[in-house]
Amino acid sequence: MASSASSIDTSSARIKKGVAPLRAGQGYSFVLRRLHSLSGIVPIGAFLIEHFISNSEASKGVQAYNDQVKFLTSLPFVHVLEWVFIFLPLLYHGIYGLYIWYKGDSNVGEYPWSGNWLYTSQRWTGIIAFIYIAYHVIDLRFLGVHLMGGGYQNAFSKVWFDFQSPWTIAFYVIGIVAASWHFAYGVWLFAAKWGLTTGDNARRKFGYVCTALALVLIGIGLWTITGFVRTPAAQVPWVEHD
Amino acid sequence: MANSKTVIFKIKRQQTPESKPYWEEFELQYRPGMNVTSALMDIAANPVTRQGKPTTPVTYDSNCLEEICGSCAMLINGQAKMACSALVANLKQPITLEPFSKFPIVRDLAVDRSVLFENLKGVKAWVPVDGTYDLGTGPRQSSEMQEEAYPLSNCISCCCCMEACPQFNDKTGFVGAATIAQVRLFNSHPTGKALKTERLKALMGDGGIQECGYAQNCVEICPKELPLTKSIADVGGQVMWQAVKDFFRT
Repeated sequence: MASSASSIDTSSARIKKGVAPLRAGQGYSFVLRRLHSLSGIVPIGAFLIEHFISNSEASKGVQAYNDQVKFLTSLPFVHVLEWVFIFLPLLYHGIYGLYIWYKGDSNVGEYPWSGNWLYTSQRWTGIIAFIYIAYHVIDLRFLGVHLMGGGYQNAFSKVWFDFQSPWTIAFYVIGIVAASWHFAYGVWLFAAKWGLTTGDNARRKFGYVCTALALVLIGIGLWTITGFVRTPAAQVPWVEHD
Repeated sequence: MANSKTVIFKIKRQQTPESKPYWEEFELQYRPGMNVTSALMDIAANPVTRQGKPTTPVTYDSNCLEEICGSCAMLINGQAKMACSALVANLKQPITLEPFSKFPIVRDLAVDRSVLFENLKGVKAWVPVDGTYDLGTGPRQSSEMQEEAYPLSNCISCCCCMEACPQFNDKTGFVGAATIAQVRLFNSHPTGKALKTERLKALMGDGGIQECGYAQNCVEICPKELPLTKSIADVGGQVMWQAVKDFFRT
């Protein structure tokens, strides 16, 4: 009798196999997670908008695009700027984002609701954007002809030659859509989680704003791609590849 | 007049917290107004499987039978629901019943949900009125405050919001929406807000409010329709202000 009673008595093993209770006031995950959220808006999101606007100069032709690159690459402390405001935040946001993805258990199969789909899509667009941005930065910033230190006149040509492959264009379209969506929904999440849009109405209305933001960014991105694709080879200066 | 309409239940059973789970099927006579709890009572009255094999009655938690005690939460057709308010007529058959997947199993459909109690203690989800002398009546609350607080006080601690949350798991140890809603309730209480700072600092701990991924399953699944996403946003703002104050003023 005693043994059968003890076999269903869970008092000694409470919460042993379940989820751990709150570690009230302990650890650093709050700061790391909020920093992850913030870094997606500033500086990464701010740079994303700047980057889309700058690149849209491609729709005005080779000279306008190269002039924009000249302006950006001639900013004072440009290497400090790009590491502090672009590369390091991207690395932090991307790597900590992978950790966040690993810790979540998507369950859209059981609970197929719009918020849950957006939760899952934020993880998928994040990983797609991370892979795309890694390729994009390595390919255009670190490989091939260098655009820093007076190499700006090769900028348009460098991208144009890349876009000779339809696979590259397809990858860019996927990357632009994923990054735009991830950023816009990230802004919505930021407003909700940091307590800016507490009411249901406020969150719904801000949802429209963020959807518009995503569509505008995607529109600018695709317009920029057509800027390169529409430019005939005769107008594009030849670039010596390494 | 004999009613030949029957209902089939597939129930995931487990004898002890450590033993292997297995499935049993039951075929019950349908009765108008039948719900999952009454079906489990029917099985207890005649514990024989669909195959005619005698078995033990299914263990499950229940008490009030009117969706107010919060004890009969389980996975019904894969979703977290209260068994007492889950009408058989509204469910797709065969109806599958499983224990909550993220809580230690006691036996069959009964799980140990004491993690919520631990979390509520962790955030001091109470109004501090204990003392050595009579503190008298508390401050009056406006009707606006009452209207904000009442829906939050409807929480029945069923843990559906935690079970349905993609972030509530072993890897995060997330505190869950129910506890965050109670922080909002007690922080808004004129006497309860004496512990506001302690509650907010507790929620900054590992597994705290930052683990919310805003999938919003909590607010969809909540049987008492608590404003859970609004509470997470509101308390999220409170925690941020606390963090900013801590950072710049200490």
